Amino acid sequence: MKRYSIVSAVVAAGAMVLSTLPAQAADPGVTATEIKLGVSTPLTGSAGLAYGKVPGAMKAYFDYINANGGVYGRKIKLVVRDDKYLPTLAATQTTNLILKDNVFALVGALGTATHSKAYTAASLAAKNVPDLFVNTGFSGFGNISKYPTAFTVLPSYAMEAKIMSKFIKEKFAGQAVALIAQDDEFGVDGVNGFKAGALALANTTLYPQSSLTDARAKALLTGLSAIPGKPVVVLFGTTDVTALIFKAAESLNLVSKFTWIAGSVGGDANTLLALGVKPTTIDGAVAASFFPDAKDSTDAYVSQFMKINEKYNKGVSFDNIVLQGMNSAMLTVQALRAAGKNLTRTGLIEAIQNKGSKFASAGLVPLNYSATSHVGYNGYWFGQLNAKGELKPYGGTLAIFTTDSAAGAVEASTYTRPALPKNGIPTNS
Amino acid sequence: MLKFITAVLTSLTTGSIYALMSTALVLVWRSTRVINFAQAGQAVFTTYIGYEVTIRSGSYWIGVVAAIISGALIGAVIDRFFMRPIFKRIKSGPIVMIAPVVATLGLLGIIQAIIGFIWGLTYQSIPAPVSTDGFQVFGSTIAFSPFNLMVLISVTISMLLLTLLFQKTNIGLALRASAYSPEIAKLSGIKVDAIRTLGWALAGAAGGLAGMLFVPSSYLYPNAMDVLLVFGFIAAVIGGLDSLFGAVAGAMILGFAINFATSYISSKLVFPMAFIILILVLLIKPGGIFSSRKGRKD
Amino acid sequence: MLKLTSNKKRLLLFILLGWVLLLVGDRVGELRQYQGSFVATYSLAIASIILLTGYSGQLSLGHSALMAVGAYAGALSINNAHLHPVIALIIATLTAGVFGLILGVAVARLTGPYLAGTTLALAVSLPTLANQFPILGGEQGVVFDVGAPPARFGEGFSQYKWFFWISSLAALIMIWMISNLLNSRYGRTFRAIRDNQISAALAGINAGRVKVIAFAVSSGAAGLAGGLLVMLISGVSPSAFPLSLSFSLLTGAVVTGVYNLKGVMLGGLVLVAIPEIADSLTTRIGGSEGFTATLPGFLVSALLILAVLFAPNGPGHLIKRKKH
Repeated sequence: MKRYSIVSAVVAAGAMVLSTLPAQAADPGVTATEIKLGVSTPLTGSAGLAYGKVPGAMKAYFDYINANGGVYGRKIKLVVRDDKYLPTLAATQTTNLILKDNVFALVGALGTATHSKAYTAASLAAKNVPDLFVNTGFSGFGNISKYPTAFTVLPSYAMEAKIMSKFIKEKFAGQAVALIAQDDEFGVDGVNGFKAGALALANTTLYPQSSLTDARAKALLTGLSAIPGKPVVVLFGTTDVTALIFKAAESLNLVSKFTWIAGSVGGDANTLLALGVKPTTIDGAVAASFFPDAKDSTDAYVSQFMKINEKYNKGVSFDNIVLQGMNSAMLTVQALRAAGKNLTRTGLIEAIQNKGSKFASAGLVPLNYSATSHVGYNGYWFGQLNAKGELKPYGGTLAIFTTDSAAGAVEASTYTRPALPKNGIPTNS
Repeated sequence: MLKFITAVLTSLTTGSIYALMSTALVLVWRSTRVINFAQAGQAVFTTYIGYEVTIRSGSYWIGVVAAIISGALIGAVIDRFFMRPIFKRIKSGPIVMIAPVVATLGLLGIIQAIIGFIWGLTYQSIPAPVSTDGFQVFGSTIAFSPFNLMVLISVTISMLLLTLLFQKTNIGLALRASAYSPEIAKLSGIKVDAIRTLGWALAGAAGGLAGMLFVPSSYLYPNAMDVLLVFGFIAAVIGGLDSLFGAVAGAMILGFAINFATSYISSKLVFPMAFIILILVLLIKPGGIFSSRKGRKD
Repeated sequence: MLKLTSNKKRLLLFILLGWVLLLVGDRVGELRQYQGSFVATYSLAIASIILLTGYSGQLSLGHSALMAVGAYAGALSINNAHLHPVIALIIATLTAGVFGLILGVAVARLTGPYLAGTTLALAVSLPTLANQFPILGGEQGVVFDVGAPPARFGEGFSQYKWFFWISSLAALIMIWMISNLLNSRYGRTFRAIRDNQISAALAGINAGRVKVIAFAVSSGAAGLAGGLLVMLISGVSPSAFPLSLSFSLLTGAVVTGVYNLKGVMLGGLVLVAIPEIADSLTTRIGGSEGFTATLPGFLVSALLILAVLFAPNGPGHLIKRKKH
């Protein structure tokens, strides 16, 4: 029987030695013909429902660029790994992207809890792996000392909460405000933002991700309905949970009792409608955005992305999620171009720092990249949804505000974005 | 007051779905002394079949019938072609206790993989056949809808039918006999193997019904019923694995405890509450509330 | 001449194994070091299950919860109390062991499905406690950072090799201790309880006490495995210990033979190799999303069923049978 233990040990050791690969060259993921990028994101599970379209959208834009010469002749290949919005899985999948798939850089990693865990676990800082345009509004990712290779793109939740505080105090003065937020860094970031924005909250409910069921939502709303007047309910959660709360309100006939404000993460009207929320429910709900509305085909960027989606992402309907994915992809291509033909990880990071603030993008607020800032967009405009799922500026005029994630003031913005590159193909260097 | 009524009503609803799962588990336990973890997988699989039928026929109720029938068939097939060979091969050694349980775990994994492969992993929905808007009582809407009522009625009818079957029919008697004294049952002319397969078939049918009643309020995906399996199992253990009545009672106790705790104390207490109830019950009565080690009540 | 008792032989074997792993760790790349660390960790967890289920006959579905206890204890030691990682791992083991002691006392009267059900409930409920107490960090979890390898090992010593060394060493020591326990008088007592509790009692064995000891030791080992696991992912969070982990570990134990400690490494290898193989397969042959995501689970489950059908007592017995 001792033989068995020796056999098993030898098999295990042998398997490891025989299957090892030779050591990699300087910067992995770049060859003369290809650049390999990786993303760990939820494809399945309840978060996959809401955000599963992102990698497909990115890939569609990359395919378009590849068909038009690539980046200095190199084609972009996107490796996608499903992490089901679970921090542990994100950690192992991101490590796999680095160690197994040997990607050059990460792009569009999604989720606050997921990516903060993955960043440390995969040693991204030690390995100097560029972590581009993280798909989360957690303000912490802008902290260069903690996440030296990460670049945010979405405005942070703290920024969103501060601007939302100003908006609520102006438009809904006198009404009580209730906050329902996800219980992790994402939700807490928002809570801090509301504090910085000096908004008094009558009720704050933090729920652990994926534990809010229909029954509990109903109990919560029943409790909130006791607040007099027309309270403002702010939903700071993922789209599947926002949909669940809306449907619970429908079932209890409480939709018109509240003024609903959907945070940017869970406020995509098309996804909400697809998840079964009634059009009458979202009609009049307030939502924030920093993009033009995805249904606004008069916008140059939107119409260009729609065309690309039509050709390279067949079968997927164009919405804000797809818009966001393609926008990040476009920023990525410009970053790769700006880093030059001799493509290195350090070069890519420096390129974004030096030239990123001038990149063309669909965002209606400025990009703030510099040698001391890895923060992307920093503002929002508020609008109202109608029954068709379109977001129109609140009160009729577009009013954009910018701020920071700390105690800085909320200011009106006069930013105009760069023009769309011809045919949506960047030619920057 | 409204909160209390809401809590009571939602407890009844969740409790009744747990009751179906715990009944299915107890049925299999009583007829084969195996805890069938694959129950969750079977239930989801039959619910997918029900989903397909509902989509194609346009009627939820035809889908329910399809789910029940396919549940019964699949349950029977699993017992006949999977469990029986396992019992034949494993006759001796302590593995006897573990092997069937572990085998059902393996089966669960395979069923879920097959489901994912055929239908993909995206969430589907089955629309409810009746309104899910709460009833209007004294001017305000309560968290109990015609759909919830339908679930409650369906479960009650199923329980009554099963109890009738067990108590009043010869087949029921045979089911009870084969579980406890297979040799004596055989001597009395009962085909023990066939009766056991029947037990699995009934359990499979109950699981299929549970799935069709549960999914309209949630989503349909391969792991949709995992949590139900856990709660159903806990409910069955609380009630004492030996009686169907215990299964239902355990499910109701569990449903009420969880719903009240989450309504009144904190929404994070779902699972800890289940564990606390279970430990309390088992510390006081290691065999579950309604079991009696000495004799058998039903 | 030194008489080689079976205890000494076992010690030598483990030391030899340690040297082999050291050499192997030097030759392979980071990816294999990373995966090797998982193999070591899972092997330890499987050993704890073999002790509890194979030797003392108590079927537990809750080892993921016990690993979680150790993991959180270890993480809090490093993160909040700023203790040395080695101390943190020891604390992880002891905390889980004490927890297992209490749990063992609570469930001592339970058998079969009642024990399984209770441990199942534990497995699903314990991780959610992280959301109850802010110190446990909620979904975010607590960071578990063992730090970079000591400078004296030089620049080429990667983080993953450091993980490999730590996990292999810890697993080896713990498994050696379990192995000693199982070959001692206690081991025979465990098996006596497992096979026939009444006869054992007649022979004067205090069944309750023995079962509790088995539970405590098994939990301690599981706690250490939990600490090692979260070291690899740099932090603990509820999602690190799902119920499916308990099931996977049980699978690993059955596949390698739940009655015998000898093949734990094989079990750990299987648990790491199967998703790896599935991943490579799907990368090569592509396939729908449904296929790629479900293939690893399918392979593991299929393996489990095959093991139960054809080698219920472990592959060791298969090899034995072939010799006759």
